[in-house]
Amino acid sequence: MSQARALAVEFNSGYSKMIQYNAKQLRRIWFVLMRSTASDVVKFLLLVAALTWLMYRGTEMMGYHWQWHRVPRYIAGFEDGRFTRGPLLDGLLLTFRISAWSLVLAFCFGLVTALLRISNSFMGRVIARGYLELIRNTPLLVQLFFLYFVLAPVLGIGRFTSAVLALSLFEGAYASEIFRAGILSVTRGQWEAAYSLGLGAFHTYRYIVLPQAIRRILPPLTSQAVSLIKDSALVSTVAIYDLTMQGQVVISETFLTFEIWFTVAALYLVVTVVLSTVVSVMENRLRVAD
Amino acid sequence: MKDGAYGEYIIEVEGISKTFPNGVRALTGFSTKIRRSSVVVVIGPSGGGKSTFLRCLNGLEEIDSGSIVIDGIPLDDNKKNRLEIRKEVGMVFQSFNLFPHMTVLENVNLAQRRVRKKTKQEATETTMELLNKVDIPEKANSYPSQLSGGQQQRVAIARALAMKPKVMLFDEATSALDPEMIGEVLDVMKTLAREGMTMVVVTHEMGFAREVSDRVIFMENGGIVEEGTVEHFFSNPQEERTKLFLSQIL
Repeated sequence: MSQARALAVEFNSGYSKMIQYNAKQLRRIWFVLMRSTASDVVKFLLLVAALTWLMYRGTEMMGYHWQWHRVPRYIAGFEDGRFTRGPLLDGLLLTFRISAWSLVLAFCFGLVTALLRISNSFMGRVIARGYLELIRNTPLLVQLFFLYFVLAPVLGIGRFTSAVLALSLFEGAYASEIFRAGILSVTRGQWEAAYSLGLGAFHTYRYIVLPQAIRRILPPLTSQAVSLIKDSALVSTVAIYDLTMQGQVVISETFLTFEIWFTVAALYLVVTVVLSTVVSVMENRLRVAD
Repeated sequence: MKDGAYGEYIIEVEGISKTFPNGVRALTGFSTKIRRSSVVVVIGPSGGGKSTFLRCLNGLEEIDSGSIVIDGIPLDDNKKNRLEIRKEVGMVFQSFNLFPHMTVLENVNLAQRRVRKKTKQEATETTMELLNKVDIPEKANSYPSQLSGGQQQRVAIARALAMKPKVMLFDEATSALDPEMIGEVLDVMKTLAREGMTMVVVTHEMGFAREVSDRVIFMENGGIVEEGTVEHFFSNPQEERTKLFLSQIL
């Protein structure tokens, strides 16, 4: 009896040990799986599948008839064996042009405004502050209309220039606050070291302050650039055939509402993701521990 | 003492006073003169105005009244004069203040190229000479963050020397250093002193003061309490306050 009991105990403990061991191993395998890239990809795909399914269910209930196959020709296609741009690609290129010009101008406005706000000149500070508050506290759409319908005829500028000006003035105001924060984040000791070497204000900004400030403000500046690209959609309201406007035109001709808007959104996404990626690569290259 | 272009004294300070916006009276109207090629050590308790005095000498702080003349150039509201003086007066800070985004070589080259308008090659030559002098030529292509405190401070000295200044100011140059690194920086400073550089040194290193200084100034409450030669100071101080201070730190 006691022998049998001992045997049973031994068996039990051995068995539970085995289970323990297996559970441990299983857990380890589980952890390795969960941490691998593959599991991330699977999770991502599951999420996308779920969202897509929801979308389809929703539109199905609305009675929407999906026709994705009709979309590609509006992006680009081959005619007589030659590559031709569709309206959406045309729009995208115009969006590029507007965004690129506005981006350069916005950063110029931003930098100049930031420098004026920090300067010792009273007038400079008043002008910079006035510009900042005026632009930041009124809607971009109103500014765009004001520039295009009121100022453009007076100044004799076209719609493209008005659009670029409106966008860059608007984003420049925000960029100026980012620049100002960056400049003020450079410690006093850096300025003093530069001055004590006999460097003037220009050289101090050029070689000491701005290089350090810009490294620090690259992330918020990138956000601002992404905002600008997205805000450029508003120029469609003054009949500029950018990506958004072209999308609207295609929809009005084809009634592919969902397909085209999704495509337009995806195109914006591609542009902004590429921009963010380029900047983060730059950031890693420029990184210096301080 | 060698005779310079503008007489025996390279720094002439006349009745300078300075009150900070927060109401602190940092300097309360004192005068002093500093000879060419002499080493003046400024000592005294914290908040006594030593650093403010030093920072006024190259225009990092503006004085409210009085006058400062350096090598014949008055330090006044004239921006040109101030720039001219800053070229001739080098400064070494307690916290090094190297430019973190530049290599050692670029740090030392910068002012030579932008202020002295040297070519890159000329500047680099001078820089390597100076880095040899402060004994870290091998770190020319390192960034400041890769150096120890002592090494950073020696680079900072080289950077200031690159402008070939007539006067060097040291604002507690060894106070932020680990004890074992103080020696290497003091050695560089001693070498400079022996080579005849005019130096104004705010420090707590009494050994340094004893060894190389020609004159000691004891400051408290924004004024000079006592000044004199090293022998006078350490063997026979006159003022009670000086005696008390020395007894506490020696």
